[in-house]
Amino acid sequence: MSSEPTPPLILGKQTDESLTQSLLAFVWDKPADGWKKLMGVLTLFVLMFVASLVALLYKGTGVWGNNSPVGWGFDIINFVWWIGIGHAGTLISAVLLLFQQKWRTSINRAAEAMTLFAVVCALIYPTFHTGRPWFDWWMLPYPSTLGIGPQFKSPLLWDVFAVSTYGTISLLFWYVGLIPDLAALRDHTKNRVTATIYGIFALGWRGSGKHWNHWKVGYLLLAGLSTPLVLSVHSVVSFDFAVSHLPGWHATIFPPYFVAGAVFSGFAMVVTLMVPARKFMKLEHVITIRHLENMCKVMLVTGLIVSYGYGMEHFMAWYSGSEDEFTLFFETRARGPYAPWYWLMWFCNLGIPQTFWFKRMRTSVVWMWIAAAFINLGMWLERFVIIVISLHRDFLPANWSMYYPTVIDVMMFLGTWGIFGSAFALFLKVLPAVAISEIKELNHEINHHAHHGEQGHSIEGNVAPAGGH
Amino acid sequence: MSAAAVNTRYWVLGEFNDSDALLSSTTTLRHEKAGELDTYTAYPVPGIEEALGLARSKVTYVAFAGGLTGAVGAWALQLYFNYLDTWHGYAVNIANRPPHSPPVYVPVTFELMVLLAGLSIVGSLIVYFWGFPRPHHPVFESEAFVKTASTSGWWVSVTLDAHEKVEAVRARLEALGAKNVSVIEDAEEA
Repeated sequence: MSSEPTPPLILGKQTDESLTQSLLAFVWDKPADGWKKLMGVLTLFVLMFVASLVALLYKGTGVWGNNSPVGWGFDIINFVWWIGIGHAGTLISAVLLLFQQKWRTSINRAAEAMTLFAVVCALIYPTFHTGRPWFDWWMLPYPSTLGIGPQFKSPLLWDVFAVSTYGTISLLFWYVGLIPDLAALRDHTKNRVTATIYGIFALGWRGSGKHWNHWKVGYLLLAGLSTPLVLSVHSVVSFDFAVSHLPGWHATIFPPYFVAGAVFSGFAMVVTLMVPARKFMKLEHVITIRHLENMCKVMLVTGLIVSYGYGMEHFMAWYSGSEDEFTLFFETRARGPYAPWYWLMWFCNLGIPQTFWFKRMRTSVVWMWIAAAFINLGMWLERFVIIVISLHRDFLPANWSMYYPTVIDVMMFLGTWGIFGSAFALFLKVLPAVAISEIKELNHEINHHAHHGEQGHSIEGNVAPAGGH
Repeated sequence: MSAAAVNTRYWVLGEFNDSDALLSSTTTLRHEKAGELDTYTAYPVPGIEEALGLARSKVTYVAFAGGLTGAVGAWALQLYFNYLDTWHGYAVNIANRPPHSPPVYVPVTFELMVLLAGLSIVGSLIVYFWGFPRPHHPVFESEAFVKTASTSGWWVSVTLDAHEKVEAVRARLEALGAKNVSVIEDAEEA
């Protein structure tokens, strides 16, 4: 198809030493001014979150804009949005590992970290949406003297298990991959205190061949487990809606379309974070344009799947002959009071990714960053459209009511941005943002093939050494 | 085990220049039955299992057992809460839905299967297969080892029980082209 050769995954002739130096440089260097300023601003956002949380706990969920009939507002929109963002991390680390996509290696570590922080942000919402978070343990199955146990037939309870399993497995997967790099940090530092701290987390890893033998199998098994898990989590989230009987929610296409949407928004978030980070941290030799271009391709495909989902929802509303369904999709959404947001969603999620058909747009770092911002917005709007528009005009016009977020709602949402951003910035500073041992393994594989002169066996067109920049 | 109070083991360490040298030398040492072998690399190198003569990791069996426990346990848990325990009043009749309803038990069963499989993989790796946490290990006594093993080195270790064989193994490692060859004495309480 293409006449030009596929660009390499690792630029320049790299050795184990040069990769260790370049990938650990950001951790060992003194914090840059830009990083400090960013952390300062993000800390303000975190404080804003704390303030909104105090208000919420003091006054109750009445400080939110939720009303009747719009019982789910920013809380569930933001929960679904953050959980969706997390999915790219698992997809990159697990699914692409099973498919042996070598380009995942440069971005998996940061994407997995992003997953963890996104899950934390997501969990904040249902935790406090219960109204009395100090009773949240009632959701767990335990021998209660209240004489009532959890209702296992409810998707909301499935969510408790799905999201907590997802968070735990993501953490384990991330940590197992991190252990060899923690050992590298431990041995590379000159500072005794730093060596001790990294040493505790490295558990005494010494790179033993016997240990690698177990590590490889364990890592692959975790990837195999995470792959169906990533599909199940957003399917279960979509059941929260699909199992109900509300027009706009009650659709069998929800699970696949939610999963595609999750991957779509997750990749947009990876681009949003990694485009500035690779420049700032000088990681252009391992996170190349080819990596970014591949992510744009994933966004194009998942964006089309999501749009197909929208189309199918509308088709079924018409084809079912249900008056309520038809009214929701063709009156309330298209011409109702929230119509501008609905059309903006179409523009962001169907329109913007179409630019990725063109190689020039896929390889333009500036454009993909702007497009990713639009996609993040579009996927947030999707959840707004599904939740608020479906709820605000229910079956009885006497019940209709508009939904407006309050100041506390907005503060809390921006506050989760602060939590997410500061956690990510801290991660970039204290841990290697790129999986060093995995990059070295890839580099070794590339150089070894070149060394032994197996031209036919170039890795995915990665004919190395690439001969400089 | 002998009656000696202290059981001294000797670790002969050597570093090779590249992965090919490490793999071929390890294979040679294994065929010569030089002693208990291990290699130390910054990342998994293809062929290392063959060179060391390792069998496939048994962590798969642990994962299977963990997953099975999770799945069976989850189903039992749901059955207990929604069907069996009428005595405590847990089996609540909501809209006359069947108390034992297989389709709705699937999501929680799947999630707990994955959770227990994952926890048992990582737990067994750390505690059983790796024997961690173990921050102090004889190989860390070599400064040259600590300097390169986790970043770029290609190390091999031969562990011996008898002091008589140490010099022979050291000479053999040097003959194979190893650098930074050192011997570490590890006195364990028997």
